[in-house]
Formats: sequence, structure tokens, C-alpha cells
Amino acid sequence: MKRVTARRKNQNLNPEKEPARLDIINASMGYRGQLVIENLSLQIAHGALVAVVGPNGAGKSTLFKALVGLLPLKSGSIFIHGQPLGNHMDCVAYIPQREEVDWRFPVTVRDVVQMGRFGRLGWVRRPSLKDHQIVLRSLEQMGIAHLAESSINDLSGGQQQRVFLARALAQEPHILLMDEPFTGVDALTQEITLALIDELHRQQVTVLVSTHDLNMAAQRFSQVVLLNHRLIAAGSPQEVFTQENIRQAFSGQVLLMENGAVVVDQCCPPDSPIYK
Amino acid sequence: MTRISNWLKLGIFFVFILTTACGPKEKNPPSQGNHNINIQNTKILASESFLADIAQNVSGKRLHINSLIPGGLDPHAFEPTPADVAKIADSQVIIINGAGLEDWLKKTLDSAGGTHLVIEASAGLTSRKADQNGNSNVLDPHFWLNPENVIRYVENIRDGFIKFDPDGSETYTSNAEIYISQLKDLDHWIQEQVQQIPLDQRLLVTNHESLGYFADRYGFKIVGAIIPSVSTEASPSAQELAHLIDQIKQSRVRAIFLETGANPKIAEQVAQETGVKVVMDLYTHSLSGPDGNAPTYLLMMRYDTQVIVDALK
Amino acid sequence: MAELLITPLSYEFMQRGLLAALLVGILCSIVGCYVVLRSMAFLGDALAHAVLPGVAVAYLLHGNLLLGAIIAAIIVALGISMFSRQGTIREDTAIGILFSAALSLGIVLISSIRTYALDLSHILFGNVLGVSPLDLWMTAFLGLMVLITIIIFFRPFMVVSFDPVLAFTLRMPVGLLRTMMLVLLALTIVISMQTVGVGLVAAMLVTPGATAYLLTRRLSMMMIISALFGAISSLIGLYISYYANVASGAAVVLTSTLFFLVAYLFSPQRGALWDLMRTRRGK
Repeated sequence: MKRVTARRKNQNLNPEKEPARLDIINASMGYRGQLVIENLSLQIAHGALVAVVGPNGAGKSTLFKALVGLLPLKSGSIFIHGQPLGNHMDCVAYIPQREEVDWRFPVTVRDVVQMGRFGRLGWVRRPSLKDHQIVLRSLEQMGIAHLAESSINDLSGGQQQRVFLARALAQEPHILLMDEPFTGVDALTQEITLALIDELHRQQVTVLVSTHDLNMAAQRFSQVVLLNHRLIAAGSPQEVFTQENIRQAFSGQVLLMENGAVVVDQCCPPDSPIYK
Repeated sequence: MTRISNWLKLGIFFVFILTTACGPKEKNPPSQGNHNINIQNTKILASESFLADIAQNVSGKRLHINSLIPGGLDPHAFEPTPADVAKIADSQVIIINGAGLEDWLKKTLDSAGGTHLVIEASAGLTSRKADQNGNSNVLDPHFWLNPENVIRYVENIRDGFIKFDPDGSETYTSNAEIYISQLKDLDHWIQEQVQQIPLDQRLLVTNHESLGYFADRYGFKIVGAIIPSVSTEASPSAQELAHLIDQIKQSRVRAIFLETGANPKIAEQVAQETGVKVVMDLYTHSLSGPDGNAPTYLLMMRYDTQVIVDALK
Repeated sequence: MAELLITPLSYEFMQRGLLAALLVGILCSIVGCYVVLRSMAFLGDALAHAVLPGVAVAYLLHGNLLLGAIIAAIIVALGISMFSRQGTIREDTAIGILFSAALSLGIVLISSIRTYALDLSHILFGNVLGVSPLDLWMTAFLGLMVLITIIIFFRPFMVVSFDPVLAFTLRMPVGLLRTMMLVLLALTIVISMQTVGVGLVAAMLVTPGATAYLLTRRLSMMMIISALFGAISSLIGLYISYYANVASGAAVVLTSTLFFLVAYLFSPQRGALWDLMRTRRGK
């Protein structure tokens, strides 16, 4: 399978001209010898606000990694802006799960946010005044401007999250992928994150967010993708969150009450032995 | 999981078979002082090539002497391979220099098993004082670079051979006599050659302190050594090097002599700084090949003397 | 005081030794920042020994031993990159495996060369007291090349080390960059080692960088401070070795370790001593 290679193109893709559409066609992806997601086909429109949900181990992170180009597909294809993965500019921003980051790396908050501009700056050009302004504005929007010169090691969990949000903002992406941004953060950070998502949505940035919080997904997102190693359902929250779909996705972790209420146990992967 | 563990068991089984098959073979214990010794089957091993040559001269055609350390390798730092250990184990007689040159042999001899007669060639010789960092308990093993000492070597080897193979005692004794007279000739010859060097130039700087006995016998002064030790295993400190350079400049030494196999790096820098030349191919710890400049001990000494005289006269 | 400084310098070998130690100290401590940050601390020692098969092969083919060593080091570096690429095994595991394999291959090859053999590893492992003018030029040239490369590629190297996924989204050639870093490391290690020996290089790769890490928050500062410590330790260490009559390489290593300990205890933010006092005060 081909690894995604990097190529820089000089044309500036304007979201109005070329919709930041995501087309996933019959894609299968996974790690050495193990398929995590099979035959996924999905179309995400330009400017959509999508929550990606599913049980632990369902493949949400895997999907995001493939979308970014980090994980080569075992089969199928992915198109962004109507072009195959790898041919587009750095218009995809990715916010990782907090455990995956090396917090002991000697960088300040400002350094990290500035990295978001590197795509446009290339390797040697000094940041211009405009770049500095964008970085500053991103910091202010996330409420961490006062931490600009602090080492990232000295931040709380919520503040760390906001650093990466700020970086994503500074990147001025067309597509934003956020991997479980609401897990383990304080309420303030959650609100700031949601506010950011709304703001970006207004700017017609396509936003995909993976989360465990089904309620939040239903209330704050216009579209939901329900995964469990394959696509269970995609569409509006009402369309997706049916009893049948939920049972299929979460199988043994779900308790369906007679009054229509659904209780979901989020602790373990659906095929873990405690459910047997 | 079970499939993997089956393969694992199979693998371990094969490894086990291989190691037991290649284990040490049984040896026939050597017979010492036994009149019925079959000379054809005896294996005699000398640790260094020059020792093998000397011993061969003593035994004549009666015994065949093998050499353990190949030519060009440094006996101070020698590490025996399994084949070497097998050679040692299979030999009935082992001739070593002694005086600390083959410290690594002790452990090997113990683990090799079997019984051997060990002939220490330098037994009975008194070591010169090798003052290593104030520690004067260190022995200088380089006896063989003074042919007079080798006379004692020959006597020890002769006695050892006689003990091992009393039937050959006449042969060994007469061979030893012949060789000793050759050694005495060599000694005279070296003295003559050295006369060609002006008195104030009889100065030696070597890689490590190997020519002590040679210097004492023939009137040289050891100005110093790159590695101020009787072994090659040490490394000089900055101060020691500085001291050496001062000594060289003061005494107007003309050359630094390196043994074959020595690392010339530091010597070259010292030579450059002091303006002396580096002479590279002194054979001190081993013979050369049969086509080389030092195929036997006697020729080795002659060649070395030539090299030294040519450099200093 | 001035005389103390000048006396050793009256010897050419000390002049060159000091210069070499300085160059290697600066070069290795800068490059070593990546080693420290990416947990490859025993890369120095590993690569130093892993070059053995390259040297053995070069010797058998009557080629240039240093070239053989460089090629071997690059191959091992590429191997490390390849094995740890997919994230299947981590870099330190890959290093461990390749280093022992290469070392063993080297030993096998060398023990088969039993005839007129020089001690091959001595040919390759330099001594800070035996630096020739050619060694000095080579190290200086290499050092310059490596430093220029690091300056040009500072940003991509930083991003690739800190957040490879971001590097991907920024369309940086992550695999190529990581390989480049490893090759740079390999070259630095081999040439430095040939000039001043293994122990010195392995330590200079790690200790000054670790010290600098404790004292600053930014990567660029970390490299500068690391270089400073590398240089100072080399100078002081060499002088100490001269006057105390001890092994030079070891003296430099111990000096740089001393700096590390001081930083560890007294670093303004992360010093162990301040931590202790803070907890006491809290009670």
C-alpha cells in the first residue's frame, strides 16, 4: 500500500471555490495485520459539524489518523477537496489526545501555537507581523495569552488542551479533527472548546470531533457518525440515535429501558470478557 | 498461542542437541615420564611465536612445536577464541614466557581441563625494576629481548623436554648447546653493531616499555615510552605525554620505535611535535611470517638491531 | 593564574587536544539535544561499537577504515529508522537490537582475520591526546556542516521530534526528516569518536543536553546552553587531567557530570533542592 507522501502545492485553496469535502470510499484501515475499520464509506459535506461516536476501540482514533495521512489505508480511498489524500495543502488540522503529546519537550506555549503557522512559512522564513498577530489572536481567543511564555510542562490539563486548540486556530485549517477533546478536561475548557467549534463552524470550517459523550453529541452537533469497526449510521442525531443503532454499536454495554431511555456503559470495549 | 509454544520447544530442543554435539571432546590424559610415550601424537604449544621458534631449536626434529598467538597480535591483550582454548586443552606441553605476560592464560588453563606440563621459560630470571606509577611490584616480562636471558630460556625448555620425554634427553641437550652458542654469537654481534651508534645517541623511546633488558645489556638509556607501562593496556595521561616530550627534547633522541601492531596515533603526534622520526616495524612480541624480516628469533634480533642502529647512527 | 593556563598549551598535542575537545564538545552537545529529547541516550555508545563490521569489511577490502565505519554507522542509523518507523518497536529497542547485532557481526568478522592484524578498534577509537592536524580539520569541517544543517532544518526537526502528527498535517516529509536526523547523528558520532575516543563522545551526547534541559524552556536556548556546557566541560576537564595527571577523556566526562548535578539541585525551576524546600515550607 502506498504511504502518503508529502507534496507542497502553491495554489491557495479557497473553501468557497473548492469545498472542503471529505469523501471516504470503501476504506479499510488498521495496524499490522489487524483491521480496525472495514469498508467504511462516508461523505462529509463542506462546513459540516460532525460528532464521531462509538465504543472504546471502535476505531475513532484510527479513522482520524487515516484522515490525516498518518495511517495508510489497507484498501479504498479518501478524497479531500475532491483530491486524493496527500495532494492537498496543509488544510487539515489535528488535535491529538493529550496522552500522545510529549509534555516535557522544551517549548513554550507560544512556540507550540506558532508551529501552526509553519505550514505557510515553510522551513526558513521568519514569521511576519501578520503571523504574530494571528498567533496572538489565537492565544487570546483560547484565554491563554497570559501563559504565552510558559513551558507547556507547567500547564494544567485544560490549559494544555487550549494550547492545541489555539494552534489549530492559528493553522487556519479547512478541516479540523479533534480526538476526544472533552475527555478529562474541566468545565471551563469544555465550554471554551465548544465555543471554538461553533465559531469555526460559522467560518465554514469542516469540524469532526470524536467523543464519548452521547448527550453532547446529540445536543451540540448537527451530524453524528456512529462507528463500531464499521459504519453503523450517519446523519442527524435523531436519525442516528435509534435504539437499534445504539444496540448494534454498543451491544452488551447498553441497557434499553422500557420508557425509551438508554443507559450506556462506557467502560470497556464491546467484546471484552466481562460481557460474556 | 499453542502453535508458538510448540515451535519454541522444538527450537530449544535443537539448540540443546547442537550444543551437546559440539561440546569438548574427551582427551587422553598425557603420560608424564612414561617411557612408552608416542612422540608422534604429542602436541606441544608455545604461547608466542618466538618461543615456539626457540623451543623448536631445542627439540630439533624430535618434537613439533605449535604457536598459539598468531604473528602480529599483541600478547598483552590477547583473547583466546574457543579454537584456541581447544588447542590449549589438547596440548600435553605448554611453553609460556611467564612473568605476567600471559596472565590471561591462567583462567584458560584452568577451564581447558586435562593435565599439562607447563614450562615457564623465564623461570629463575630476576625481573628488572619496572616502576609503574610508583608501584614497583610489577614485573617486566620482556626478558627475551636480551639474548643472554634466552640462554636461561633454552635451559628451562631443555629441562622441561627432558622431563616430559626422557628418551630424547641426549638430543635435547646437544641441540640446546648448539643453540646457546648461537645465542652467544648473536650477543657479540649485537655488541659490535651497537658500537656504530655514537654514545650520546644510545637512547630509546618505544611504544611501551618493552626494550628494558635490551637497553640494560647493550648500554642504551630508555628515555621513555608512549605508554609508560610494561603492558599495552594502559593509556598515557596528558602530564605523562608532556613529560615524555620534554625528555625527548632534552635528550635529543632521534627516533621513536613502535612494535608491529602498535597504535601509532599518539606516537605520531609526539614525533611531529618533537621532530623525531617514527620507526614502525620493530619485531618484539612476535615473529614475522616466513617471508618476512623476522622469521626466527635469531633473525628477529638481528633485524631489530639493524633497524635500531640504522635509525640512530 | 595565567601561567597555569598557558603551560599545557606549550605542547602542540595539548593545543590540538584542547581544540578537538572543544569542537567535539560543542558539536556533540548540540546534536545530543535530540538524543536526550528522543530518549536515545545510549545511541552514542551503541553506534560507536556498531561500526565494527564496517571497519572489518573495509580492512578486508583494503579500503579506508574511516569510510567503512561511516557507511556502517549510516546503515545502522537507517535500520533504526526503519524498525521504529511504524511504531511497532520503539527507537531504544531498535538501537539495542541493531547495536548488538552489528557488534557481534564485527567480532565474527574480526576473529576470522587472524593473520597480520592490527587492533582494528584502536585504529578507529581516537584519543584526545593523539589528535593530528588532519583530524582537527575533518572534525571542524564536519562540525560546520552539521551545524549549518541543524540551523536550516531547525523547524522541521523540532516539529518532527515534538509532534510527528503535526508534521504530517503540515506536509513535512516525516520519514525523510527522521532518517536525516539519524544519519547526522551517525556521522557526528563516528567522526568525533575517531578524533577523541568513545567514552568522551557518548557522554558529550547526553550530559550537556540533559544539563541544559534543566535550565531552559525553549529548544533553541537548550542547544546554546548545551554547547556552552560542552565547551566548558571540555576545557576544564582537559586542564584538570593535565594537572592531576589523570585520564583526559574521563576528566572531561566527570566535569560535565558535575555541572549536571549542580543544575539538578539548583535549577531555578526544577531544582531538586528547591522542591525539597518547597514541600517543607508547605507543611
